[in-house]
Amino acid sequence: MTDIDPSRVVVVTAGLRAPSSTRLLADELADAVVEEFASAGRSAEVRIVEVREHAHAIADALLTGFAAGALAEDQRALAEADAVVVVTPTFSGSYSGLFKSFFDVLELGALDQTPVLLAATGGTERHSLMLEHALRPLFTYLKAVPVPTAIYAATADFGGPGTASLSARVRRGAAELARAVSGSTSRPTRSAVAADSLAFTPFEELLPR
Amino acid sequence: MSGTQFGIFSVGDVTPDPTTGRTPTEHERIKAQVEIAKKAEEVGLDVVAVGQHHNPPFVASSPTTTMAYIGAQTERIMLSTSTTLITTTDPVRIAEDYGTLQHLLDGRMDLMLGRGNTGPVYPWFGKDIREGVNLAIENYALLHRLWREDVVNWEGRFRTPLHGFTATPRPLDDVPPFVWHGSIRSPEIAEQAAYYGDGFFHNHIFWPPSHTKQMVDLYRRRYEHYGHGSYDQAIVGLGGQVFMRENSQDAVREFRPYFDNAPVYGHGPSLEEFSRETPLTVGSPEQVIERTLGFLDYVGDYQRQLFLLDHAGLPLKTVLEQLDLLGEKVVPVLREEFAKLRPAHVPDAPTHGNRLAAAIATVPTQTQTEEVLA
Repeated sequence: MTDIDPSRVVVVTAGLRAPSSTRLLADELADAVVEEFASAGRSAEVRIVEVREHAHAIADALLTGFAAGALAEDQRALAEADAVVVVTPTFSGSYSGLFKSFFDVLELGALDQTPVLLAATGGTERHSLMLEHALRPLFTYLKAVPVPTAIYAATADFGGPGTASLSARVRRGAAELARAVSGSTSRPTRSAVAADSLAFTPFEELLPR
Repeated sequence: MSGTQFGIFSVGDVTPDPTTGRTPTEHERIKAQVEIAKKAEEVGLDVVAVGQHHNPPFVASSPTTTMAYIGAQTERIMLSTSTTLITTTDPVRIAEDYGTLQHLLDGRMDLMLGRGNTGPVYPWFGKDIREGVNLAIENYALLHRLWREDVVNWEGRFRTPLHGFTATPRPLDDVPPFVWHGSIRSPEIAEQAAYYGDGFFHNHIFWPPSHTKQMVDLYRRRYEHYGHGSYDQAIVGLGGQVFMRENSQDAVREFRPYFDNAPVYGHGPSLEEFSRETPLTVGSPEQVIERTLGFLDYVGDYQRQLFLLDHAGLPLKTVLEQLDLLGEKVVPVLREEFAKLRPAHVPDAPTHGNRLAAAIATVPTQTQTEEVLA
């Protein structure tokens, strides 16, 4: 029981090491999202965006003002996504600088109205509120629609007593994202990135009075 | 003058030469602009455009002064701007300064309007950058009237109202200076150019050509919509950035330190990446010809091609050598190829001469006769 067009889900993961616990969490979230979308009667196509691979392109885009190559392709995918999952490591009490820069060079309005599931990793659980104090305001600014559950995975959550709790939160967040996509009606055209030709305002409306 | 004009444009930056560490003085830089313009005429180019900026490291704060000085020492080359700031310059002053220039140069000038993207310049001139597009729309609406109506009564949001005002001098032969509107990404400006039937210029440097293609396409569609002519009759100008040597490896080797340290894009992408992603061409004159002919594929036949040769701290001597290559090896071939490809119904680049001729042709014959008899 699936719809005709699969939902386009983009997972942005900003870990720097390989293997990375951030990517581990991103993959787990991606799997959970596919399952929860299936339960809601939708198929989902997942595209993983490794921010690390765009590190140089992001710096270039900050300097030149435009994104090129594979970065531009991933930006377009984000602008066209039905749902987005973001996962960042916690650096100095907040999201990583590279993660922020990736969104800084994104076309204005690219995530307008897009349901987003927020997630982060960190060495200890002490910084988990960065989800609410740093990550959520960023996506509010971008006019995205973050779902209520945000997921923080400390190193200790990958084994031991916290594991079941992490799995439950992953499941709940993925389910919320699936519901948010079902609830949204039609996606607006978000930006010039996704549009074939430029939108414009007729001149009579531009002239004052 | 041929169907398409070829020339150069500059922003007038004072930048250290990264190979010597030497920074030219403002005096040297201003004088260099004049040398460059005279050389451009000598090698047979059609247009030279100077910038307008109000902050260091730029020296080009007073374009009409520079244009008049160049104009007095040249005979044939057209003077233009890249760009005249329509947002922060009083449109009455633009009407007067460029109106005077038009007479002094016997019509051998036009201007390109731009908004300017340096935030503090707006408050320095009592304006708000968030109103940038609205300033461009309203100020040009006034400028357009000042050059076409002998007495203007006017009230807007951004300048003190006018009552019974006549901008002097009146345009030469009653033909107002031709106006190009320049914008990289604002559809409002393409729409504005189309509405008035003015020219649209895309700077076409430092950015991927996809932006140029989209903006020119919008301008052409809207130009046709407003009844000024067909899609391919709209008046389009493009920029371009080149560095040439007879041998392409020499060009790359010599330009790389300037590229790597340039304002705007320096310390970012490699010369090779930037050459791939933007219209920058560093190589032989043949490579520049081939790349430039490729512009026709995504904008169609167009009326003005300006190259950026003079920036990033390149010494004057090098810039003059670039002009020799452009004038001797590149432009003659481009003129021939552009002319061959151009359909008859595509208009020539606007000049005072052909616009005056068109204005006379549209006046009813009887009136002409009466005027002659009177």
